[in-house]
Amino acid sequence: MTLTVARRMVASEILKLRKRPSTMAWALVFGAASMVVYYAYFALEHASDPAHHGPAGGVMGFARGLQGLAILVWPLAAAMIGTEAGAGDIAAGVFRDLAATGRPRLALFLARIPAALAVTAGCLLVGFTVAVVASFTLADGSPTPAVGMIAAGAGWVLLADGIVCVIAVGLGSLTGSRAITLTALIGWELVVSPQLLYASSLGAARQALLDGALVRIEPRPIPHGTPHLSTSIGMVVLVMTLWPLVIAALGAWRTATRDA
Amino acid sequence: MPSDPSPATAVETAAVETIGLTKRFGDRLAVDRVDLTVPSGSVYGLLGHNGAGKTTLIRMLLGLTASSSGEIRLLGLPVPGRRAEALARVGALVEEPRFHPHLTGRENLRIVADVRGPDTRTRIAPALERVGLGRRADDRVGSYSLGMRQRLGVARALLADPKLLILDEPSNGLDPAGIVEFRQLIRSLAHDEGRTVFLSSHQLSEVEKVCDSAAIIDRGRVLEHGTIDELAGGRAQALTIGCEDRGAALAALTGFVRRVECAEGLLRVTVDGDARTAAAALNARLVAAGVDVWHLQLERATLEQRFLNITSTVGAAA
Repeated sequence: MTLTVARRMVASEILKLRKRPSTMAWALVFGAASMVVYYAYFALEHASDPAHHGPAGGVMGFARGLQGLAILVWPLAAAMIGTEAGAGDIAAGVFRDLAATGRPRLALFLARIPAALAVTAGCLLVGFTVAVVASFTLADGSPTPAVGMIAAGAGWVLLADGIVCVIAVGLGSLTGSRAITLTALIGWELVVSPQLLYASSLGAARQALLDGALVRIEPRPIPHGTPHLSTSIGMVVLVMTLWPLVIAALGAWRTATRDA
Repeated sequence: MPSDPSPATAVETAAVETIGLTKRFGDRLAVDRVDLTVPSGSVYGLLGHNGAGKTTLIRMLLGLTASSSGEIRLLGLPVPGRRAEALARVGALVEEPRFHPHLTGRENLRIVADVRGPDTRTRIAPALERVGLGRRADDRVGSYSLGMRQRLGVARALLADPKLLILDEPSNGLDPAGIVEFRQLIRSLAHDEGRTVFLSSHQLSEVEKVCDSAAIIDRGRVLEHGTIDELAGGRAQALTIGCEDRGAALAALTGFVRRVECAEGLLRVTVDGDARTAAAALNARLVAAGVDVWHLQLERATLEQRFLNITSTVGAAA
């Protein structure tokens, strides 16, 4: 397969995603609109009672915004886009026509990942821009984030949500169902994973959880409820590599072997 | 046939060849030891009831589902061994054509074109024009009728510039005018452009009007195959004769043919051998007896009669 074909296949996957109105609308709601609402709420709170509520922007507002939304709400956007990329062809019944072209199914699968990542990054960029703008305009005299902190924040957000996106592509390809994939991902992300992370009886086993690894490498940790595990960087890298790799491999295997 | 031909030499070989092709779903035998040879450049029909195994056979040809046993060669290339190479020049329409409804017809074709290869995009517009969708190409597929989606499916199959077209129930959803156009398109693809068309259908008239040859499949087994004439009954053994003086005609033919009877103002004559061979002799005999003949037609069983005969025999035996 030539580079031109690979590039065009990825471009086609992007076309499918960006022109799907429901997925894009929800991804933008989770990725960008949530950020607007979040900062608007804290700005109103600060305006009504500055003595007890700090500014919505500034360094703290920026970090709080990323922690609050990048790890809770933005993964939903990444999951929706990744799920659509993974399961969209099968759900639409188009997969058999793509498979009948003779193009290796692994290539069909692999084209989904960069496309989903690109669309996810686009959505999150809008939300991240809102966060940056809000952290400056709503600082109200408090220190504003430096360029290094903004870059680190962007990198962390892309890494965290990129991993969720790849997992969603893999799981979507594995199940072939949008509904099952989204239910599983949202259930894991919002219910199961936090419960396991708080379950101190699990001890060091919690280091295998993706959310724990992501919290461990937050660029500007500030106090919040999520337990901060003393995981080694090696373990963090391992966890952040294995989760998407294993699930993507399962998705690739299912794509290659399923009856089309 | 070369054991491992290149695609170029494969043009000369059978377009589709299966040997002992079998597919099991658990205990159920969906396709049972099918041997099939589809000559290049012809329109070949796979005729069978719904559930006879046509779609499963086609899905195996395209590598969409694995066979349980047997061999497949497409354009002379073994499948799945050289599947990618073979399918690069195969266009297919399997079952009801499906598309991304939120994309336009043109965008849906672009997706497949980009998967096929860098030159394929140039074939999108001609393919859309060819199936009569040029003016609706930029509408969302969600707004298309079933017939339009069927046409778009054919356009998608043409993107491969196919040497072989595999079409599963291709006229489903088409209106009568669309069916006529579609038949012309199929015949043109094969006879004017030298492509092979392998189509499955449960509509006997469609196969009879479009195909050069066909196989009749039932319960996963190919029961008969051959040209449409051969399948429809081979030799005619009866003919109808229209003439002015039926009494004289009866007298002239009695004893010369196996049976002669009057029916609806015509004489129906049954002969022992081939009616085509007997027709000239009968005409000469009538003319010699002073009977003016104004109608002489061979009576042949239709494919429908033959099909029902074959499949009901199998049904009774099962």
